[in-house]
Amino acid sequence: MRILIVEDDREAASYIRKGLRESGHVADHAGDGEEGLEMARAADYDVLVVDRMMPRMDGLSMVETLRGEEDRTPVLILSALGEVDDRVEGLKAGGDDYLVKPYAFAELLARVEALARRRDPETVRTKLVVGDLEMDLLARTVVRDGEEILLQPREFRLLEFLMKHSGQVVTRTMLLEKVWDYHFDPQTNVIDVHISRLRSKIDKPFPRALLHTVRGAGYRLQA
Amino acid sequence: MTQRRAAFLRTTAFRQTLLSAALFALSSFVILGFVYAASAGMVVRRADAVVNDEVQVLNDRFQSGGIDNIRLYILQRTVGGGDYLYLLIHPSGRTLGNLSFLPDVQPDEEGRVQFTYRRPPAGGVDDDNEKEDRIVRGQIVELPSGYRLFVGLDVDDETRLISRMLNTILAASALALALGVAAGIFVSRRFVRRLDKINNVARRVRAGDLQPRAPRNYTGDELDELSENFNNMLDRVEALMHRMRHTGDSIAHDLRTPLTRMRNRLDEALREDGDLDAREQALERAVADTDELLGIFNAILSLSRLEAGESRASIVRLDPAEIAADMAELYEPVCEDDGLSFASEIQPGLAMLGDRGLLSQALANILDNAVKYTPAGGAVTLRLRETGEGMIEFSVTDTGPGIPDVDRERVVQRFVRLDNSRSQPGSGLGLSLVQAIADVHNGRFELNEGPGVVADGHGPGLRASLCFPKAPREAG
Repeated sequence: MRILIVEDDREAASYIRKGLRESGHVADHAGDGEEGLEMARAADYDVLVVDRMMPRMDGLSMVETLRGEEDRTPVLILSALGEVDDRVEGLKAGGDDYLVKPYAFAELLARVEALARRRDPETVRTKLVVGDLEMDLLARTVVRDGEEILLQPREFRLLEFLMKHSGQVVTRTMLLEKVWDYHFDPQTNVIDVHISRLRSKIDKPFPRALLHTVRGAGYRLQA
Repeated sequence: MTQRRAAFLRTTAFRQTLLSAALFALSSFVILGFVYAASAGMVVRRADAVVNDEVQVLNDRFQSGGIDNIRLYILQRTVGGGDYLYLLIHPSGRTLGNLSFLPDVQPDEEGRVQFTYRRPPAGGVDDDNEKEDRIVRGQIVELPSGYRLFVGLDVDDETRLISRMLNTILAASALALALGVAAGIFVSRRFVRRLDKINNVARRVRAGDLQPRAPRNYTGDELDELSENFNNMLDRVEALMHRMRHTGDSIAHDLRTPLTRMRNRLDEALREDGDLDAREQALERAVADTDELLGIFNAILSLSRLEAGESRASIVRLDPAEIAADMAELYEPVCEDDGLSFASEIQPGLAMLGDRGLLSQALANILDNAVKYTPAGGAVTLRLRETGEGMIEFSVTDTGPGIPDVDRERVVQRFVRLDNSRSQPGSGLGLSLVQAIADVHNGRFELNEGPGVVADGHGPGLRASLCFPKAPREAG
């Protein structure tokens, strides 16, 4: 995957770059919004990681300019701010996801990979399949190995998100944001508890586990 | 000093008073001037009417008895003095009447003449030195055979009265203006003196002394109100300064523990040169420590923003039942995992104004505490209901140790952690955040004794409640 990091803090940029390269991605760096704009126009990137506060041209203006030019490359906005309305502002400017500094690298990586997948042509899928696990989005049913599994509505949404991002790491914060729409971190590990409930329904009665815990990062659903 | 003494001249009060005094003087001048003009006109009209009648009489006499009849009439009329004046002038220049001569004055367009003549005062001696100048107004009539006749009326008393009136008017207007200016000076001096006191307080506060307060006279006038608001503002500033100082100290104090722990772990990792596993473990724990520190910083940041009213929370009309139901759904499995029974009682159909994210966070903080401090076998209940006072109340009750009466106010303050909670993870900011969120929503956060039974290590429990006003009825 080819990723452009637009970040004026060189140390932060090299930290992200190094991490992305280690995960097998190609990462370029631009030091400010103007440079970032030029580089984004010149080459075809899969994801842009854009810092909000930068000299010369700030991240939001850069993203707005790109969107004005019909460039739909997914953008992850990084920000040291972090109130809800800052997030709303960032998404309104054309960002696809919003990550508040400081963050763990695993969180950034998971979000970048999730964004890249979003780029795939948006086909209307009515069925999600991971191994022998199948989800029918219209009938709202889940079947594994021919056996129907009864899920609560929230469990259904949680599994739906995991299946849409199968093979990828999703973090606890991502789940809390995308499945529950909460933008704060509860002290207790509420997500772990819900995952373990889901796991007991979709994995426990079967010989092979699909829902894996990724240490220090989150979870991954994989056949 | 001159500048200070003249300060009242620049005040709004002085200018206002001066302006109204000038307006008052001007309007009294105009009104009285109108009265003057009307009165003066009346005197003239009366004199003219009287003279007209007299001329008519004389004309009749001339018609009936000729010039001699007029002579006789004039003689009769002038014997006892009086206000009527006559002068009959023979073509040869001989005169008859109580006027000695006719001055050379041009009659106006209506044929009237007005001039001064000399006359002894009423009842006085006919002596030139005693005579006074008086005003007469009358008409000159040309009679056939070359006679000229003047008939006039003495209007001196009336004219004098009118002119005295004019002087009085001018004097009154001037007096009104002078009094207005004096009042302006008086009022604005007082105003400036009171304002100076407030300004002095502001100067001292700016210089760094937060103690002084603006003087009040409790009359509720504008300056008193200004002083009150000013003092309230200073109270708030002082409280914020105090809290900031306290927070600064607390941050330093509270961060020292995890920082020291992290330092020791990193130090240990450096010394573990052989054992890579141990080194990795130490590093991982150091990262976890850093996350905890960052968590504390984030909590401080959002708390400050909330308290400073900076976080422009997106307050909308919402159904609190949805928030409560989502929270119940989020925490029920957590409670059950911890061996606690969880129940929720949610009243539907209520509406309030709020920010879903903030309200959820407040409830999550309360529920986190309930889960953290209630021993296994206990119960946690989340309720949403409309109280008897028509407020919307979220409450979380648990059967844990509760919080002693004396500490309930304190735990809401920043960084306050009770002794038995020091062993638990946490920043001591959770309940401060709940309080701040309640404040943002004009709500109330209260801690009370819970429903628990004191036995087997269980305490009286805690009842944490958040009360908010109901949303006003939707328009339309």
